[in-house]
Amino acid sequence: MIGAREQAEATGGAERRPPAGPAGRAGGLHSRTRTTLVALAFLLPNLSGFLVFTLWPVFYSLVIAFTNYNLLQAQPHRWIGPANFIKLFHTQDFWLYFINTFYLMLGLPVSIAGSLCLAILLSQRIRGVIVYRTLFYLPSFTAGVALFILWKSLYNPDFGPVNVVIRAAADLLGRNVHGPDWLVSTQNLLGLKVEEVGASAKDFGLGARDALMFMGIWVAIGGSNMLLYIAGLANIPQDLYEAARIDGAGRWALFRHVTWPQLAPTTFFIVVMSLIGGLQGGFDQARVMTLGGPAGTTTTLSYYIYTKAFEDFQIGYASAVAWILFALIFAITLVNWRYGSRYVND
Amino acid sequence: MKLTYLISFAVLLGFSVVAWVWQPRSDDRRIDLVWTSDDNPARREQVALFNRLNPRYRLRLDPQNATMEKVIVQSLAGVGPDVFDCYDGFQLMAYVQSGIAWDCDAELRARGIAPTDYWPCVYPCTMLDGKMYGTPNNASAPAIWYNKKLLREQGIPYPKAPWTWGRFIETARRLTRRDARGRLIRCGMLMNWLVDWNITIFQFGARFYAPEGTRCVLDSPAAGQAMQFLQDLTFKYRVAPTPSEEAGLSTIGGWGTGSMTQFAGAQAAMTFGGRYWLCILRDEAYRKLELGAVQMPTDGLNVVPGVGRSTLINANSRHKEGALEFLLFLHGKEFCELINHQADAICAVKKYAYTDAYLHDPGFPAEDYNDVWRAALETAIPQEVSPYVNGVTAFRILSKQVDLVKNQAKTGAEAMRDAAKKINREIVEGLRMNPDLRKRYMRAIAAGAPPAWDRPEDAP
Repeated sequence: MIGAREQAEATGGAERRPPAGPAGRAGGLHSRTRTTLVALAFLLPNLSGFLVFTLWPVFYSLVIAFTNYNLLQAQPHRWIGPANFIKLFHTQDFWLYFINTFYLMLGLPVSIAGSLCLAILLSQRIRGVIVYRTLFYLPSFTAGVALFILWKSLYNPDFGPVNVVIRAAADLLGRNVHGPDWLVSTQNLLGLKVEEVGASAKDFGLGARDALMFMGIWVAIGGSNMLLYIAGLANIPQDLYEAARIDGAGRWALFRHVTWPQLAPTTFFIVVMSLIGGLQGGFDQARVMTLGGPAGTTTTLSYYIYTKAFEDFQIGYASAVAWILFALIFAITLVNWRYGSRYVND
Repeated sequence: MKLTYLISFAVLLGFSVVAWVWQPRSDDRRIDLVWTSDDNPARREQVALFNRLNPRYRLRLDPQNATMEKVIVQSLAGVGPDVFDCYDGFQLMAYVQSGIAWDCDAELRARGIAPTDYWPCVYPCTMLDGKMYGTPNNASAPAIWYNKKLLREQGIPYPKAPWTWGRFIETARRLTRRDARGRLIRCGMLMNWLVDWNITIFQFGARFYAPEGTRCVLDSPAAGQAMQFLQDLTFKYRVAPTPSEEAGLSTIGGWGTGSMTQFAGAQAAMTFGGRYWLCILRDEAYRKLELGAVQMPTDGLNVVPGVGRSTLINANSRHKEGALEFLLFLHGKEFCELINHQADAICAVKKYAYTDAYLHDPGFPAEDYNDVWRAALETAIPQEVSPYVNGVTAFRILSKQVDLVKNQAKTGAEAMRDAAKKINREIVEGLRMNPDLRKRYMRAIAAGAPPAWDRPEDAP
């Protein structure tokens, strides 16, 4: 039971308003205006920062995407219409980096499934589960750069533990293999060509793109997705499981008909966020581990935007790429909401 | 609640006022100068020398903001350094075009500084269209470092110039060591492909651009042979590490790591390098390293690419007078002798490299190869840039092709042909976006310079 004062606060002080009538209405308007002004005053510090450092640059970037803005030219930039957009669609590098971006996202289904499996395991009533949860979440609060440097060593073709294990396994089978060249190889599991859109057998193998994808899976499995799934699992009412068990459901049936549908909102959220993150991703790894190489095979759209803007200083062109990336993310998210949310609501 | 916020605000404001009133006052009336340069350990001593010789100023090094993009962006925003370093012709062009480099030609000449004081290979990072935008502070040309002990162990006499690439390969072969599985234990020759591949370009008689910079000419047979030679060193003669072997040798980044530490750790018997390597190799950790140096092998042409570092003045600096003082200091005897002593390459002012103090530094009596670096500078030619293409973009195109050569995905000739094609396409695209540049370009074409396109319909 709540008291009168708390009730008044909860209803925004409506009980204290003056009575209706001409004078009362005027007083109400005055009060509302005052309240709005006070609210705006409190919001102002944050709002002004948002307007100056976020909203204005975003809209300005849209404007300069239609100009030849280049930091290397002292003269003012000129309006060139959609030339930057036309140029990027005719630039092969753009399409190659577009493909690279999606290639690194191929690991998303695996990482999401892995997060779910791990969350189920860590939701069991076992001794020391908190310790396990913390251990699996550790990579998420380790600095990205430290992780990438660690993985760079793991992928060392000669002395890295990954190839050492591969070689040991091959030795057991009586085979002499060196192991993949990982971060220095342009090969990939889809056989994508390096300099043109297409595939060829000679480009098939394990290389830098795969190395980054595998690392991404490892990082994502124990990350925030796992935590979201653990929270989602904790919120499933136990009586649903009890009812299903009474009906004779086994472990798989429980998962298929109770756990999975109940986790649908969580999965939907994770898929949407992972797709957005995947499309924006690849920059940190490329910057620390490969500098976008070898031969541009680990350059993603976000790294391409950076190199065009802050290495080539073609700000106009880089803005155009950024807006194309935004349009892509927006479109994919819309499709997700349109078709994905129906499974959540069922 | 409102009252709480107001009281909090008033208290914070009060604290700020108290802090402002009580802040420590300094009697130091020196003028602050900020210099963005790399994090070479030698730099701190250079700063200390300037501050000692010029008590009116307090020079501070800012290595975190030394990259070109940071200098340009910060200077345009009005928070850039007073003086900043420039490493090549493209950077100078970028700084001048973006309006950041101050044209101090008249001021420098009035103070008795002339371009002829310096090694010709440093002109591109100092001068543009005949004007001096700063003063060079060191110069470097590559030669070959070798590990005397490893050569002695193999019974190989120390190489002496002039020598040929054939003898170089034979020496490197004898110095290369592999284990029973064929894994590289020690390479005869260590290269940093990203930096060193242009050494052979000049040695094979190839050029990057037509003289006016209107066309990339790396599609020449000589350029293809030069790149093929590097691939052959790795895969045919097997004296240099493959990309995979190179990754095996690699260390974590930072100034002075990579090739330098690998060579110092005896993972390589010979390597391309410069005198500035001594900034690292003199470290106590490498005191057992017995160093030797010899000029590049040559099969006819004796040219190497020379580089330098110059210091420019920010056009928006509020302390131009102090910045000029600093440039004068860089031209002076004390600084040049310090550069030579520190082995931060060689001083840019030629006359100070022709002294006995340079050849025989009493502080480092074992270094009997200082004449090698000076001789390399005498044969060094400046690196080529084109005013019509962004140097970083061109470099990235070339790096990509070099990666493909390293991975044996292309031959040297194929890679150089494709690099030239892409750079020329980039030139045309740039001209389409920039009408002023196009006018200048067309004037050069009209005067007989070769265009970047092969078919008239591809012209911008």
